[in-house]
Amino acid sequence: MDQSEIDALLAGGSKSVSQSVADPIPPAESQEPHRDPSGHVIAELDTVTAVTERESNKVMDQLDQICRLVTRQQELITGMMAHAGSQDPGVQQAIHEVASAGKEIQDKVFEAMDLMQFQDITRQKLERILNHLRQIHDYIVDLLGTGTKSEGKRASISNTIAQTGTTPDENKAHADAVIEAFKSKNKG
Amino acid sequence: MKILIVDDSSTMRRIIINTLSRIGYTDVVEGENGKSGLERLGQGGVEMIITDWNMPEMDGLEFVKVVRGQNPGIPILMVTTNAAKEDIVEALQAGVNNYVVKPFTPDTLKEKIESLLG
Ligand SMILES: [Mg+2]
Repeated sequence: MDQSEIDALLAGGSKSVSQSVADPIPPAESQEPHRDPSGHVIAELDTVTAVTERESNKVMDQLDQICRLVTRQQELITGMMAHAGSQDPGVQQAIHEVASAGKEIQDKVFEAMDLMQFQDITRQKLERILNHLRQIHDYIVDLLGTGTKSEGKRASISNTIAQTGTTPDENKAHADAVIEAFKSKNKG
Repeated sequence: MKILIVDDSSTMRRIIINTLSRIGYTDVVEGENGKSGLERLGQGGVEMIITDWNMPEMDGLEFVKVVRGQNPGIPILMVTTNAAKEDIVEALQAGVNNYVVKPFTPDTLKEKIESLLG
């Protein structure tokens, strides 16, 4: 979800987001948008996070499927190499090339799977926005003495998500430096 | 080697499971928060834990503290979006052996797991 979609949601115009999925998760307990706009937005954002997780898992299913197909192809190739009719050096060379192309495909699929980490990170950034909205919502309910406070036990919120654009290598270097300092401090 | 993975994101659990299987660890059990992680742990056989921090019901930090009260020796790797120095120190004080910030590369996860088991 990009910023314009988040803006659209916050403005109450979530149709384009929910229509873009095949079988949208039904929105949480619908609330009157005009009487309780913040409650409505909270419910919508909860739905968006649930839908993106479900859709991400569909992408993961497809990637798993590609991996399985490539593994099957590699097995067939191995069988082919042992075949009496494929002992010609030119044929063996061609089979090797097909096998290594299959390996490259598998590596790229694994890379794509690793990139799906964005789903959890984006979800947690949305959770943080949701948390702020809930606080504002509950404050307004208290202030007006009417309406329903946001409910349910939520996940703890990450207030220190690495900045967007921080690379995995930068994350690792940072964490390793802190661990190293902690360990040497506790040794001495 | 049975490994327990605790994370409320099913996508993230799959990514970790995929990475583990690529480095030869296929015996995996899952929990979606600290509470269900403790249940899996209670069923026995777990030799290493990989846990998230931010989860509903029981978060990863509380989970680690409970586990450490029962089992001081089991290797625990925390994998989380929490990136601040204070968070990392708090987790180490609670008893995690190592710490990975999301997003991570498979090489990082592999390196950390091997250093915990080595
Ligand atoms: Mg989480």
